[in-house]
Amino acid sequence: MFAYYFSLSLKSISRQKGLSVLIAATLGMGIAACMITYSLIHLMSKDPLPNKSDRIYHLQLDNWNLNSAAVLPDLPPEEVTWQDAINIVHAKQAKFQAAHTITWGMVTPSDKNVPPFLGIIRATQGEFFPMFEVPFLYGQGWQNYPLNQVEYVAVLSKATNQRVFGGVNSVGKTLPMLGQFFTVVGVLDEWQPSPKFFDMSFGAFYPPEDIYLPLQIKAELELPHGGNTNCWETDIGDEYQAFLNSECVNFNLWIELSSHQHKQQFENYLQGYVEQQKALGRFPKVTNNILLDINQWLAHKEVVGSDMYVFFYLALLFLLVCLFNAASLMSTKFTAKNSEVALRRALGANQLAIFTQCLTETIILGCIGALIGLVLYMFGLEGIKSLYPNFSAFVYLDIPLMLLTIGVSILSSVLAGLIPSIKVCMLAPAGYLK
Amino acid sequence: MRMDLKAFINHLPFSRIAFRPIIGSLLRQKYAMAMLVLQIAITLAVISNGLFIVSQRLDILQRPSGIDESNIFVLTSSGFTKDFNPKTSIQSDLAALRQMPNIINAVATYSFPFSGSSDWDELQTVAGSDQNTVPAASYKLDEHGIDALGVSLIAGENFSPSEVLWQTESNSTFPSVVLITSSLATDLFSTVDWSSVVGRTLYINATHSAVVKGIVKQLQAPWSPAGLIENSVIYPRVITRNSSRYLIRTQPTILQHTIATTERYLSMSNQQRMIRKVETIETMRQQVYGPDIAAVTILLVVMTALTIIAAMGIAGLTSFNVLMRHKQIGIRRALGANKIDILCQFFAENIIQTTCGIFIGCLLAVCLNIFLVSQYALPKLPLSYIISAIICLYILGILATLKPALQAMNISPAAATRSQ
Repeated sequence: MFAYYFSLSLKSISRQKGLSVLIAATLGMGIAACMITYSLIHLMSKDPLPNKSDRIYHLQLDNWNLNSAAVLPDLPPEEVTWQDAINIVHAKQAKFQAAHTITWGMVTPSDKNVPPFLGIIRATQGEFFPMFEVPFLYGQGWQNYPLNQVEYVAVLSKATNQRVFGGVNSVGKTLPMLGQFFTVVGVLDEWQPSPKFFDMSFGAFYPPEDIYLPLQIKAELELPHGGNTNCWETDIGDEYQAFLNSECVNFNLWIELSSHQHKQQFENYLQGYVEQQKALGRFPKVTNNILLDINQWLAHKEVVGSDMYVFFYLALLFLLVCLFNAASLMSTKFTAKNSEVALRRALGANQLAIFTQCLTETIILGCIGALIGLVLYMFGLEGIKSLYPNFSAFVYLDIPLMLLTIGVSILSSVLAGLIPSIKVCMLAPAGYLK
Repeated sequence: MRMDLKAFINHLPFSRIAFRPIIGSLLRQKYAMAMLVLQIAITLAVISNGLFIVSQRLDILQRPSGIDESNIFVLTSSGFTKDFNPKTSIQSDLAALRQMPNIINAVATYSFPFSGSSDWDELQTVAGSDQNTVPAASYKLDEHGIDALGVSLIAGENFSPSEVLWQTESNSTFPSVVLITSSLATDLFSTVDWSSVVGRTLYINATHSAVVKGIVKQLQAPWSPAGLIENSVIYPRVITRNSSRYLIRTQPTILQHTIATTERYLSMSNQQRMIRKVETIETMRQQVYGPDIAAVTILLVVMTALTIIAAMGIAGLTSFNVLMRHKQIGIRRALGANKIDILCQFFAENIIQTTCGIFIGCLLAVCLNIFLVSQYALPKLPLSYIISAIICLYILGILATLKPALQAMNISPAAATRSQ
């Protein structure tokens, strides 16, 4: 029976080619607009570590001045001071903990054919790598070093290893940079987390750094303070050490807990830590420790700009207009075959049969609409790439999203065709048979 | 006389429209009518709000930064050897650049409009933590700075060479004079008499005092955390680091040529450093305003597509009606209606439909705006955008009706005699 409805529908569609294409194109345009804007939100808010993002926390402590706020209206700074970073990491109260910041310096490869370059460096504790599941091509990272002890080791990004060592396994080789000799202990595989949740000071879609060094080396070599630096004390003094001892914040502090049960325990530890620091005369404000897991942190930082949501809502309204349009076109289409329907009714087809046949036709139209929508969607994504060049590396065709597109298209088509179909099968055949 | 007037009015095309039968025929196709009215309503809501967002973004895109944007480029000189001396390197580079005939002026600075980073300082006219403060982005420039940026001094004087402090990063000695933008002068001293501001003292971060030496007309902040883009203060300082950034202003129209020659000259003149990140202000501006350009493009594409769909909806329904009423039109023509009467009938139908859509659409537009205001902190939609959108929709309706209505007009009265 279905094959019969199907062939009838195909006949009807090919008889009214222009009208059918118009209906499908209208649906396709509306769906493409929705899907393009939805995929922007979807891709930008993707969970960077889906299997454990709810156990990794970004830490904020309010060490600010009594009468001012680090972040309006009255939030703690988003980074922590050197002292707090060192104290909390070395207290080892979580499964993994790492403070990190961005810095830079000249890399001067011993191979004279490789010109020196300014390397962008992430100074971090070694637990950064297992915590964020950073993929290694060769070697591995380093363990968190104990206080006042550090080795001159480095982890290179895949691109940096290509640039300096021509892409070979460089583990164990020596890399001169920052006026010192560093031993390469690891080389990363391709790694471009999106969004770059662990440090968004240069934007959520900024590429990761070239080189990773132990955090203590930043202090030893007095490397520049990159990323966000924020101070409330005036005149902290000119010495590098004075900056480290000050209330200036510059370090992103992240921890991973082994389970949710440990969160309360860790919060208690942090509470105790701040109280202990208050006794030493720091933290003049009311204690305000904030722990946000990765997705809470991304939401808090509004990684998906409000523009994206506005586009999406306007595109939804656009789809609605397309639906109304398709509905009136379908009504026209079905009205045009009133006499055919009347004839079938007179020959014994019941209302359900007519309805099923109309529904089959709307589903086929929905499928054609989905095809047109998918083509437009692909063009649209190219447009998005050129409009958002920073984000373009993260735009790809998402298979679940494509399946969703097809589903939405068929659903829209059925919705648009529902009332016209009902109208057609309700009609009294007698009037059309004369 | 009265009779004459009535006769005259009767000869006007629209006076002969019989509204009752038109409304009657519209009501007979309730479903199609409802679909069309809803399309018009949503189109109105989207277009009025969309146009408003677009015009706001265009305002941002068109606002000048105050500097000579089209003739400036920047580059970074990074020293990498142990005996590289940043201060002598900057001084000899700048002296050489300023001698070049293609170059108007050059300055070493890390911040400039569109660079995206700078310090923000809190300025006061009365010192004390309980006094009002005005935030301002700070620029650190030597006496060539305002010429290199191409900003104009509207009161007071530029820095003298002796006032410029050459400092390392950690040196926090403050200069005794500053230049400020006219907007900042107004915010601080509540006056537009610029010459009265020159010579007055202001306090920086509640600790340092400095005298206003001059006022520049406009110099936007490198980035704007709180919408205070016009508030900038210039300190006579040069910070020396191993990596320094030069901002170079060329003679008009030879920017690209000068970039190449300058880059070559600097790389050859000192082999202890490398030249990198050569960018023009125009490209940096494109990057900074990229999201706004993207928003304008996306909204315009959506609005255009929407308008086309709505126009197709109107045109489609009207042609269908013309087709269905072929015989009826023929009868009307045979009974004495002229071509204009038929045309007017379809236009009247369209205007009635559009008007219904607009009533609902105004409501929807306001609701959509209230939603956007509450969720995404958009400003309130001014009435003028709704009115413009209404006018657009009436024009759109007439244009979409035109072709089918002309077809209807040309139906011959003989159609009445043919069976359908």
